This record gives sequence, C-alpha cells and structure tokens, in this order.
Amino acid sequence: MTGLIGLMEGRVVLVTGAGAGVGRGVAAAFASAGAIVGIGVRRPEAASETAEDVRAAGGIPVVLQCDVTDAVQSKAAIEQLVADYGRLDAVVHNAVSGRSSEATDFENTTLAEWEDHASVTVRATWRLAVQAYPHLKKSQGAYLLMSSPAGIEGSERAPFYSAVKAAQRGFVRALAREWGPDQIRVNSVAPLAISPALENMKILEPERVKRIEGLVPLGRLGDPETDIGPPSVFLCSEEARYVTGQTLVVSGGRFTSL
Amino acid sequence: MPSLSTLVITAGPGIGDSLANRLRGRGDEVFLTDPALDLTDAATVGDSLRSLIGKKKVDNVVLAALNPAAFQALPITGLSEDQWDDAAEWSMRAAFVSLQQVHEVITDGGRVIVILPTVAATGVADLVPLCTAVEAIRVMAKAVARRWGARSITVNTIEVELTAFILGDAEASDIELPVVPILGQPALPLGSAVDDVLGLFDLLTSPSGGAVTGALLVADRGTVMQP
Repeated sequence: MTGLIGLMEGRVVLVTGAGAGVGRGVAAAFASAGAIVGIGVRRPEAASETAEDVRAAGGIPVVLQCDVTDAVQSKAAIEQLVADYGRLDAVVHNAVSGRSSEATDFENTTLAEWEDHASVTVRATWRLAVQAYPHLKKSQGAYLLMSSPAGIEGSERAPFYSAVKAAQRGFVRALAREWGPDQIRVNSVAPLAISPALENMKILEPERVKRIEGLVPLGRLGDPETDIGPPSVFLCSEEARYVTGQTLVVSGGRFTSL
Repeated sequence: MPSLSTLVITAGPGIGDSLANRLRGRGDEVFLTDPALDLTDAATVGDSLRSLIGKKKVDNVVLAALNPAAFQALPITGLSEDQWDDAAEWSMRAAFVSLQQVHEVITDGGRVIVILPTVAATGVADLVPLCTAVEAIRVMAKAVARRWGARSITVNTIEVELTAFILGDAEASDIELPVVPILGQPALPLGSAVDDVLGLFDLLTSPSGGAVTGALLVADRGTVMQP
C-alpha cells in the first residue's frame, strides 16, 4: 500500500473494535500511512495480532482497553493517547455489537437485543464524539464511522443492524454541519468486507456468503486492510480536507445507488 | 373505494394527529393512540392497541412518533446521557416497539406509512439526535418492508419539512419550534403539508399503491431534492 505512505505521518488515531476484521485491517492501513495507532479493544489480550500488524506496517501500536459501551473506558482511552502522544487526529469508530452477525427475529425479539446494537453503534457513536471533541477541534481532525450498505438499503435478516448503521449516517450528516466551523470533518465508510461476522456466516451459512460474493461486480468480498483501509485513511487525512458529511460506499460495486 | 380502517400512532400533536383528524373528517374509521402512551413498552403498547382496536385487524397504519425532546436544538457536546437518550434513542425504540406490535394488528395486504421530517437527508447542525433517529427509523422501515412483503404488507416512508412535522395543522405560535438553519426554499408554492401527506396516503393505500414498498416519498414541495 505504497499510496498511503506519509499520509498520516506523526498523526494519532484511535480505532475502536480493532481486534479483528475491518478494525484490524484499518488499524494496519493507518500504520502504513505513518500513524500512531490506538488499538481500542474490549479485552487487551485480543489486540496482539493487530498490534503485530501495526508494527509490521511500520507503525506504533498502542493497545487500549476500550469497551465503547463503558463511558469511563472510552474516555480513558482517548485521554491516554493524548497524554502519551500529545494529540488526537482521528477517531475511527468501528466496533459493533457481538450479535451483529446474528439474524434478528424482529417480530418476536425484545428491547434487550435492540440495546445490544444501539449501545455500541448509536450511543457510543455520540459519546466518543463528545469525548474526542476538544482534541479533534485542536488538531482540526476527523471522525470516521464504519457504517454499512445494510444501513442504506435495509436488511430483512438484520433489521436492527440496518437501523443502527443508518443512524450513523444521519449522525454523520448532521454532525458534519455542526462541527464544520471547527474544521472537524465527519464521514462514514460503508464497507463490504471479510469480517468476523462474515467469517461466522461462512461457517453458519456458507451458501449465503457465496450468494453475497456473487452479487459483487468485482467478484469478491473486500480485504479489510488493502480494500477498506486506504479509503478510510484517505478520509481521515489532509488529502480529504474538503470532504465532510459523506458516506463512501466501499463494496466492490455491490451497492451503487446512494 | 371502500372505507378502510387506519391506526395512527403518535407521540403527541403534529402531522400524525392532524392526518388522523383529516381522515376522520371525511368519514374514515380511525384509531388514534393516546399521546401519553409509552411507545417504548411492548406490553403496554400491545395492550393499548388491542383495547383501541378490539379483535379486528386494521387496513392501514400511520406511524408518526418522534419524541418532542428531539426537536430541541442543542450541540451534541451540551447533551447529557439522558438528553441524548430522550432526543435520539427513545424514538428508535418507539419505532421498533410500535412496528413490532403493528405486525399483530395489521391485516395481510395492509399498508404501513411512516412519517418523518426531512432533516436527515441533509443533516442539520444542533439536531444531531433527531437526524440520527430519523435515518435509523427510515431504514428500519425498509428492513420491515422486506420482512413483511410475504404478507403483501407494504411499508413506506413519507418525509415532510420539519416545521410541518411538528405543527401539522397547529398554528406556529402555539408550539415552540427549533431555531435551526432552513434547508432551502421550496420549488413549489407553499400549501398544507397535511393535505400533501393525505394525497400520498391515498396513493399508497389504494390498489395502485400495492407494488410500492420500502420507498421514500418526500412531500416538502421540492425543498430537499434527494439524489
């Protein structure tokens, strides 16, 4: 990924849900771009592979315990990065509910299942923004949310996941306007990529994964590091200084009608 | 066209309430939920709908239920956790619970119409919670449209300009409106948003509207023109 070299040199980035899947790949991409990468994970022991990827890409990994549903932990993660490295240039909120790969029986489920999704993808989206705001204002940085094509077209199988991912898109548009005067940019990426959820699905519903791949004009699911990482880095970099309030769909052409 | 029954779910006065009055005024059978009903409690909502409708099923459902707390314009950094929840997440929970209970009381082939303000299409500063909730509910409606298609139930969204959503037929002087930048000027001359919604309601609930589902229809006289 030579195109990323230097894009985030010396910049400090927090990636939530960075222990696996898209978060792990995006963390490695930021490292390739020269960033100091805060690897936000619920369990620090789950960050070892990501930390290794970041090191291998020439970056500095900083493992942070950051269960985004815990306001104290997410604030502490941000404050530690700022205390140790003097700045915060971008937050990439990628964490999702552990149940995001499960089908939701909308007509028969309870609010507890909704809460699983909303606490990570809606409330934490707001809370991380508030906690990062003074630092992003100082650095004129970027807030990037990992949304989903499901948050655009709606999913029969995953109505809650669709709704909370759509919520992030509404959040992005409004906050981009609110924070524009502070020169903080707010965007989202809607990736279609190999993730722990899709890895799970490969085991539970292999035919479904094949069907999804068949719908992608480019014929494959994206690689978190090499396909999703570069657009994410771009959106947080100075090169995207005039881009805010947008959702960039990175889906191999699966979704074309934003 | 035979008279159809319509359940209207609201969280207070505004476009849903005014639409219910219009429908009643022309002789439709209308069931309007109590604005004080806690729409986030499934058992309460289920009991209330049963008590309102009885054992029959309704042909149409209108859901226009956003927490009025969402209309207060504030920067997100000034919100407490409770304020965020009231302004953003309450309305999402209410939409889920309401739609879930609607599934029990709507007839096969029925029509669900969700009414929302246009704010999330462009985003509005100081209304981040509202924009967040609106986009979530709009896509939740799409997901439900996919799920309920097998019962020939359609689920569509109509969006109206924010002031029209809040006021309905009420006078602007009677209700506090959020002070936010306007999204743009309407291309068409101004008129009654309630009448505009009624026209789309009639289209979507007619036999001709039976093939339209998961759609967004914007009734704002050309203020926000979606890509």
